[in-house]
Amino acid sequence: MTELLTYFLGPIWPAYTIAALVQCALLLVVALCSAAVFIWLERKVSARIQDRLGPTRVGGRFGWLQPPADGLKLLCKEDIIPAAADRPLFRVAPYVSFCATFCLFLALPFANGWVALQLNAGAFFLLAVAGLEVFGVILGGYASGSKWSLYGAMREAAQVVSYEIPLGLCVVIPVLITGSMDLVEIGNRQAGWFYHWYIFHDPFMFCTFWIYATCAVASTNRAPFDLPEAESELVAGFLTEYSGFRWVIFFMAEYAAMFVVSGLGSVLFLGGWNGPIPVASLVGLSGDPSTVAGWLGNLLGLANFIFKAVFGVTCMIWLRWTLPRLRIDQVMTTCLKYCVPLASIMLAGAMLWTFLFSGGVGR
Amino acid sequence: MMSDRPASEIVDFDVHTDEMLINMGPQHPSTHGVLRVALRTDGEVVTEVTPHIGYLHRSAEKIGENLTPRQFLPYTDRLDYLAGMNMNLGWALCVEKLLGQRVSEKTRHLRIIITELSRIASHLVAAGCYGLDLGSFTPFMWTFREREKILNLFEEVCGARLTYSYITVGGVTADLPSGWLGRCEAFLDQFEPVIDDLHALLTNNAIFIHRTAGIGVLEPAMAIDYGCTGPVLRGSGVDWDLRRDGEPIFTDMYEGYTWRVIASTGGQYPQDHPYPPVPPEAVLGDSWHRYFVRMLEVVQSMYLIRQAMEKYSRAGGVVDGPAQVKAKLPKGEAYLETEAPKGQMGFMIISDGTPVPWRVRIRSSSFCNLSVLPELCRGVLVADVPSIVGSLDLVLGEIDR
Amino acid sequence: MIAVNWHTCFFFLLALVACASAVAVVVTGDIVRMACWLVTALAAVAGLFFLAGADFLGAVQLMVYVGGTMVLLVFGVMLTSRGPFVSMKTGGGQWIMALVVGGALLTILLQAALSVPEWSAPERSQAEAAVPPTATPLGMGLMGIRVDQPEQPNRLLRRGMSGYLLAFEIISVHLVVVLVGAAYLARAKRRIEPERLQLHDLKTSES
Repeated sequence: MTELLTYFLGPIWPAYTIAALVQCALLLVVALCSAAVFIWLERKVSARIQDRLGPTRVGGRFGWLQPPADGLKLLCKEDIIPAAADRPLFRVAPYVSFCATFCLFLALPFANGWVALQLNAGAFFLLAVAGLEVFGVILGGYASGSKWSLYGAMREAAQVVSYEIPLGLCVVIPVLITGSMDLVEIGNRQAGWFYHWYIFHDPFMFCTFWIYATCAVASTNRAPFDLPEAESELVAGFLTEYSGFRWVIFFMAEYAAMFVVSGLGSVLFLGGWNGPIPVASLVGLSGDPSTVAGWLGNLLGLANFIFKAVFGVTCMIWLRWTLPRLRIDQVMTTCLKYCVPLASIMLAGAMLWTFLFSGGVGR
Repeated sequence: MMSDRPASEIVDFDVHTDEMLINMGPQHPSTHGVLRVALRTDGEVVTEVTPHIGYLHRSAEKIGENLTPRQFLPYTDRLDYLAGMNMNLGWALCVEKLLGQRVSEKTRHLRIIITELSRIASHLVAAGCYGLDLGSFTPFMWTFREREKILNLFEEVCGARLTYSYITVGGVTADLPSGWLGRCEAFLDQFEPVIDDLHALLTNNAIFIHRTAGIGVLEPAMAIDYGCTGPVLRGSGVDWDLRRDGEPIFTDMYEGYTWRVIASTGGQYPQDHPYPPVPPEAVLGDSWHRYFVRMLEVVQSMYLIRQAMEKYSRAGGVVDGPAQVKAKLPKGEAYLETEAPKGQMGFMIISDGTPVPWRVRIRSSSFCNLSVLPELCRGVLVADVPSIVGSLDLVLGEIDR
Repeated sequence: MIAVNWHTCFFFLLALVACASAVAVVVTGDIVRMACWLVTALAAVAGLFFLAGADFLGAVQLMVYVGGTMVLLVFGVMLTSRGPFVSMKTGGGQWIMALVVGGALLTILLQAALSVPEWSAPERSQAEAAVPPTATPLGMGLMGIRVDQPEQPNRLLRRGMSGYLLAFEIISVHLVVVLVGAAYLARAKRRIEPERLQLHDLKTSES
């Protein structure tokens, strides 16, 4: 993008500014559209699982316009701030959550080289920023001025922070095998047929993927780990006092986080933008993305990535509407007694495997 | 002589969390009705539970002193509104006991079809709402879908979906419409696989078992002491069902039927059907067993309905219509307990010779089941309270009357 | 002299946010808002790290300080405060003492920072420029291989360039010990009270 604009306008500061703004806008559009699509997807998938249809009237037979309709309704709602609330913190909390989630998109590669910020420590950056979302939750719960909200916020924070540990361990394993934390590098290492994907690399990676999936669902507070939002017990946890637009922001943050976590899982374990059959290279569209052929091949990779991420989110939605909810002590037990030891064993096993069979790290 | 010294004190002197008083309800996201449960918690652990009732009190018993028994029938629908037919049956049989009347064979078989279908409908609500309480939204939809089919059948029979007033003193208000038996049989045939789906989603689900097994264990002696009945009692292993062990006027209705009482005798449930296995974590008397008894009772009800449909078709005679009870009621009193889906429902009518009773008393099964809640909830986590309340299967209509 | 480009603009913006938040931490009375301003200050410092090209360090700052330490701080503040929105008021004498001590520290730090010649005229050495800013040199340095200083003429300094791995491990174990100790100290404690003499016992012995 930057090269394109400097080619036309010369290396002057407006070129860089416009390039940065366009990339920002693109990412924002991706974040918001993903939220909208997932709201619609959730309603349709949950309806089908429950033997009903879901939205069928708003915008045609499939209810395409339901998310904008929902958004419009929520925008028009009365803005209620409880009297006991800490007003500035109450206002700021949803945006903290959303900004943290939006920053995750900065380092997420959508295709080979198509990433806003190609950080050498990309995986680590994603882990670091993922832990910031909990701030918005804590602030929201505290600033609502109600003990229910505070308890829900504390539970959610405890859960997210605890699950960062096994999540980090699971992310370290593909990094170990690649020899780099750069997500683009990790994705490129899995190019080719589907057996190059890391999930098929060795049995430890296969198990790690499922542990990663569990931790990812837990860190985004989705069922069966959604006790902080449990309706039958705490009304809505930290979200109790949030209505209208602020609630929308919190939920966009949640759906965007689901997309990122799913996308990260696909990059780390499922080959990212590489399809099961390397169609692009077979057809001759592979190569450097700066060439036309390479760019078109990359477009195919983008489609692959988005498909995998959306599929991951669909699986999360599927889980939510099938399984009951775990109690908070069971959630913490799962993390500390099952996920952490298993992830550690997988780490040791994957290290051994690479030394014995692949001839060392980074090959 | 030295008096006894006080025993050594064990003192907790670290940072102590305050005790908190939390209200669950009366507007409850779980559909148990307007029940207010006041919890005293120490952090996450519940130390004391006090249920507060009366939000749905409508003076049904007092109203019964001003209406003839036939006029009082619609008020019984509104007691356990999820199983209205069983309430109608209880009241009708009680008045028939006072009057000394018996219904014909065909009516008896028809009453069994209807009340057992109502039992299935009630247990479906219990299972669905229990899943809902624990965060599993899908079984709720599936059970209510099946319940819709039952309610459609009931609507064909008596014109109402919830407040039937169908089983009346002396018989039923009208005979079955033509073709109804075929539709009922079709419903039963397509319902059997759905039960297996529910077992897969709830009964055998590891998370469901974690949330219900070992939670709220009710000892048989305590269950009997508190007057618990129905699946709550049988879930603790007490082999007692009024359809087999009750008064003759009620048990005669079930004469000639082959069915099993669902209670764990000798550590085993009846083996007449491929029921799912009992997980090792489940302790007899816990929430899982109470829920499991209801699921098995649904299968038994299906057996009863099939037998009843066949007997009804073969029986000669006509179905009795409502008895003419305009004249004075005979002096005396009659108390009859019947096996409703939620437990033993008792109706008492004391008559002093006038057309309206002198006193009507309703013994509610859920009232006694609810009374054991403070005992069960001692020392559990806050998240377990909805699990225990859901397993007791309460309906506030009959608790508050 | 200072080039007007985005780099400078962002630097001034982030530096302003960091300093203003730091001042706000001291000035605010509400204890939770204090914690929030501290979060902002640390996040701005992370931004400065990213601006300087140290991606890894910026991510570490976010993860350790903002994600770890601040969450801990906020938990502690929220769970142990007596009531909602606790305020802290500092008296006049404390302000004066704080200004004196803080001012002294600031002077020392400024003087030390401005007196290092390499830091005021940032000319990167040849070896440093050849190393791309990735996390690999950090990892190599951990093992003792300093890719940014391949030829260190001073023999003593070269011997001191052994890897940081051992020190890193020792500090990690130290942290674990500290955590376990804290958990042990914070456990629920019970103590058996000795039997106390009661008044009626004394009376009985008299009569």
